[in-house]
Amino acid sequence: MLEINRDGNIISLSGELDRTGAHRLLEEVSGRRGARRIGADTVFEMSGVTRLDSAGAAVLDELAGARRVSVKGFSPEMEKAYRRFGTGETASPPEPAQTGFFERLGDGAYESVRSLTGFMVLLSDALFWAVAGLFSRKGHRKGAFVQQSVTIGVEALPVVSLTTFLVGLIMAVLSAGQLRQFGANVFVADLVAVAMAREMGPIMTAIIMAGRSGSAIASEIATMKVTEELDALRTMGISPVRFVVVPKVWAISVMLPLLTLLSVVVGISGGMIVGFLSLDITPSVFLREASAAISLGDIITGMGKSVVFAWLVVVTASFFGMQARGGPEGVGKVTTSSVVTSIFLVIIADAVMALIIYL
Amino acid sequence: MPDPAEQTNVIEVNGLRAEYGDKVILEDVSMDVRQGEIMVVVGGSGCGKSTLLKQIVGLLEPAAGTIRVLGKDLAGLGERELDVLHESMGMLFQNGALLGSATVEENVAIPLLLNTSLPESVVKKIVLKKLDMVGLAAALHKLPTELSGGMQKRAALARALALDPLILLADEPSAGLDPVTLKSLDKLLLDLREMLGMSLVVVTHEVSSILRIADRITFLADGRVIFAGTKEEIAGTTERRVADFFASATGVHA
Repeated sequence: MLEINRDGNIISLSGELDRTGAHRLLEEVSGRRGARRIGADTVFEMSGVTRLDSAGAAVLDELAGARRVSVKGFSPEMEKAYRRFGTGETASPPEPAQTGFFERLGDGAYESVRSLTGFMVLLSDALFWAVAGLFSRKGHRKGAFVQQSVTIGVEALPVVSLTTFLVGLIMAVLSAGQLRQFGANVFVADLVAVAMAREMGPIMTAIIMAGRSGSAIASEIATMKVTEELDALRTMGISPVRFVVVPKVWAISVMLPLLTLLSVVVGISGGMIVGFLSLDITPSVFLREASAAISLGDIITGMGKSVVFAWLVVVTASFFGMQARGGPEGVGKVTTSSVVTSIFLVIIADAVMALIIYL
Repeated sequence: MPDPAEQTNVIEVNGLRAEYGDKVILEDVSMDVRQGEIMVVVGGSGCGKSTLLKQIVGLLEPAAGTIRVLGKDLAGLGERELDVLHESMGMLFQNGALLGSATVEENVAIPLLLNTSLPESVVKKIVLKKLDMVGLAAALHKLPTELSGGMQKRAALARALALDPLILLADEPSAGLDPVTLKSLDKLLLDLREMLGMSLVVVTHEVSSILRIADRITFLADGRVIFAGTKEEIAGTTERRVADFFASATGVHA
């Protein structure tokens, strides 16, 4: 407990000038609780102080600095404590200089160009080694492809099935309301089949993969980056791209088209159920209509598109992962950016390919 | 041992300047390491020791100056040539940098499986031997996270040694080790030098270890070399920070 006695411009302190005491002292001298503010010629008499810690010393220094008060009368032990905890001689480093608007603009532009080149280099590197790596054992772990395929493909079966089933179902419900007005109920089958095969199947699957596997890949690589595992691989003469990225490229390039195929089938069955339950279209009629509406070419085009989406997802995730810096927060940041960017890129690529294929 | 002056330099660092962004980490650093020599790099925290190692191994690019390893200028090497050079170099990272998703055995086996065509049974034998050398044979099937900091370090050392490199760069191999384990580790480093003619660059703070293993010492402070020489030359140095460093550890206050 700190005792504060005022006698003119002399303030005598006794007791413990610790965190609690420092608070009391600040209140006292700042003029709150009805006390007088202290003047410039105030002297702190410290002979009664029995304990001084860093908070106490910092408050004394603060007062001494701002109001030019003087501090005297420490006992030898307290003098020693004051020398240890006092902040008077600790110089603070200069504040980092603020960058101006144009400098930041230039930095941003420069960064963007650099990122774009980096992305392109990684894309070409990954695809080159994905092909070249097929013919050599060197550079990747045995069993990596199978393991990655299970993680990226097999384990995504439930979520892909459920989502695309619902998409097919919703499309059927929506279009049924419109087509019924023209007595064209049966064309629900055509619409669902065409939409699933050409657009909804590939893009929904790709978006699910961007969220599911893309985030996993980005955070895995980002963690390897911040723990220097990627650097360690390089010093062992092992290319991180070949060791880490290439097995994922293989796995996703095989798995995403297969999942897309599944999504088309599941989506059409979603539509079929709506047709059966609310439009009186029997499954056999629905299936005949659906299979007449789409060609094998549609399915292959959809699967082909999904390969492009697969590369975009895996390379975007790897690219952002490799940009990670700092600790856990850095990993989280690049994972978020990776998912947002890869979904964006998938949609852009889809638009571009739609223009090329259907125009 | 042949006359030191006649031995070839395996590492030559000349006028090296290293930067992170706007911050200069190393300035005008020169150092050469002869074949079969143990060079100890000393200095306070944050003085650029780890950066120097990463520069030598080619993970970072110098802002100025040249680095030659085994006679090759790193600046002129393509990725492929650097990979080949890396097979003659082992690097022990400050935090170990073991692959977190692989067991200790797989970690040590990876450089062997990926860079050589040795059959797996032979690789297994080499891995066991390397782990035994660092006293970790029992940890074969453990994951890195199941090991203590000092054990992770030693597992990483085993991995760095997997290919019997000509050059070993070790960033604080002694951190987190008790004095007895430290002594046996030093013995291992000396044996590697003697039996394989390995050249070592070791970053360490342990004065006892430095006195046991160092052939020469490079002392860094604020990114510059303030002392370079043998253990014996330390006694004659006028550089205060170097004298303080060695005095503080031996308890003899100058």
